[in-house]
Amino acid sequence: MTTSFPLATPVAPAPSPSVIPFSRLVRVEWTKATDTRAARWLLTLVALSTAAILTVPVVAPSTFDQTHASYLRVAALGLSILLPVVVILTFTGEWSQRSVITTFTQEPRRNRVMNAKLAVSLLMSGAGALVGGGLAAAAIAAATASGRSLEANLGVGAVASYACYVMLNVLAAVALGALLQNSAAAISATFALPAAFALIGTASSLVSEWIDMSTPWNWVLQNDWGGHLPQIIVSTVFWVVLPLAAGLWRTTRRDVG
Amino acid sequence: MWRRGVPFTLERMITTSALTKSYGDLPVVRDVSLRCDPGTITGFLGANGAGKSTTLKMIVGLVRPDRGTATIDGRPFVQLPNPSRVLGTLLDASAMHPGRSGRSTLTIAARLAGVHLRRVDQLLDLVGLTAAADKRVGTYSLGMRQRLGIALALVGEPRALILDEPANGLDPEGIAWMRRLLRDFADHGGTVLLSSHLLHEVQASADHLVVISGGAVVAAGRLDDLLASSSIVVRSPDPRALGAALTAARIDHAVGPGDAFTVDVCGGRITTEVLAAVARDHHVLLTELRPSDSHGLEQLFFSLTAYRPANPGEVAA
Repeated sequence: MTTSFPLATPVAPAPSPSVIPFSRLVRVEWTKATDTRAARWLLTLVALSTAAILTVPVVAPSTFDQTHASYLRVAALGLSILLPVVVILTFTGEWSQRSVITTFTQEPRRNRVMNAKLAVSLLMSGAGALVGGGLAAAAIAAATASGRSLEANLGVGAVASYACYVMLNVLAAVALGALLQNSAAAISATFALPAAFALIGTASSLVSEWIDMSTPWNWVLQNDWGGHLPQIIVSTVFWVVLPLAAGLWRTTRRDVG
Repeated sequence: MWRRGVPFTLERMITTSALTKSYGDLPVVRDVSLRCDPGTITGFLGANGAGKSTTLKMIVGLVRPDRGTATIDGRPFVQLPNPSRVLGTLLDASAMHPGRSGRSTLTIAARLAGVHLRRVDQLLDLVGLTAAADKRVGTYSLGMRQRLGIALALVGEPRALILDEPANGLDPEGIAWMRRLLRDFADHGGTVLLSSHLLHEVQASADHLVVISGGAVVAAGRLDDLLASSSIVVRSPDPRALGAALTAARIDHAVGPGDAFTVDVCGGRITTEVLAAVARDHHVLLTELRPSDSHGLEQLFFSLTAYRPANPGEVAA
């Protein structure tokens, strides 16, 4: 072994060390979210499950309206199953692996790390929406090739609403991940809580229209914003804003044992 | 000690002031103040559960102290613009993503620190992980993770290092290698704070020592000073003559071991040379004259860190 350690030699301080640029934090968080074998499998599964669900309107035309907008909505439903799990792991994985010790000693302003993870989640929701759109287009092409004629009813509004729906589902998962900081708990909650509120919603229209995400966010997916904006805002505050704020607060204060 | 020109001479690289932390009613760290200067290796010695790791985590902002402050290079760690360029840390070598390769783990840290990615390969070579660089960390032994952890600590070309039990899992050759690396780092003006529960580990690598027990600092200072014997054994074939000579010279002495006498050094006023002069002046023949404790630090360590339960009747985990 060597007896001199030039690499371990401390160097004189740089004149004015600069704060880690936010773009660098985002790039590093993007790498961490996508570079492991498990993450790549999960991302592949997101695409596969969306593709699988899109075969339903192709092989069973009676199940869904044979329109372009309808196919895109099916893609959105497919994405909403596993894409939330991917972003949850972005927030909870480091607590489980305890690599937060390294992350938060490299950038002790924990809010900046959380904001970078949030940015990565939004990028993933955008990328997911693009992949879903591509898969929907392929499904439409397959249905057309089988001799059906689909109504080409996609406007800018419908596409934007589709992207918005995917993003809302991703953000709700982000909020639970940030709040619970535990992979198993957050993944369970992201499936169980909406189901629980949907159940309560069957007994109370107040809950179903204002709190339970399925009705108000379905209006978003249907590009049916008219008269529903207050409900959409309230349910978004409930599922995204409040838990995310609480999660950021908890993250900045939590002791890393 | 041989020391090359120190390129920068800022004193007080790492300081803490009265750091205090409790979990519930259980005090974990109490009023810990320490200071590490450039060019030195400070050993942070204490039994398991003495509060070492919690103290180190408070220094780097991972744990919020109830009271007290800590600074790196003159300011709180959380205010350093890009901390890993100033202070490298190895706090828990098992806290790495098992699914990522050693190279990826190091590359992520290098990107975040903003150093040239060339450094990744160089550091992998330095810690002897080049061959295993593309294997997943989950397949690494504890010693390999520890080596990767040392590379991670060095990634930002820091001026100071905080290492929690760095010798854990390393084989004897690896431990010797790490000691040389840390000595070299300090000799070039770096500051090292390393914790250990093993006395001989600290004794072999540190030149300053902070001993912690039950969450509080019980001894601190230069290793040489702490090791210095507090008494001298002096023996003569004619004990009565020697006792009379010591009494005449107004030197307090106790009988034992055996027919020898034990003399307190009185804070350094009494040395072997002083006693030899007394014996010569009184024409007493000496057959033995030596510092009494050959295992001074060990006795100190055990006396200072003896287990004292915070709540009698409770068993520490």
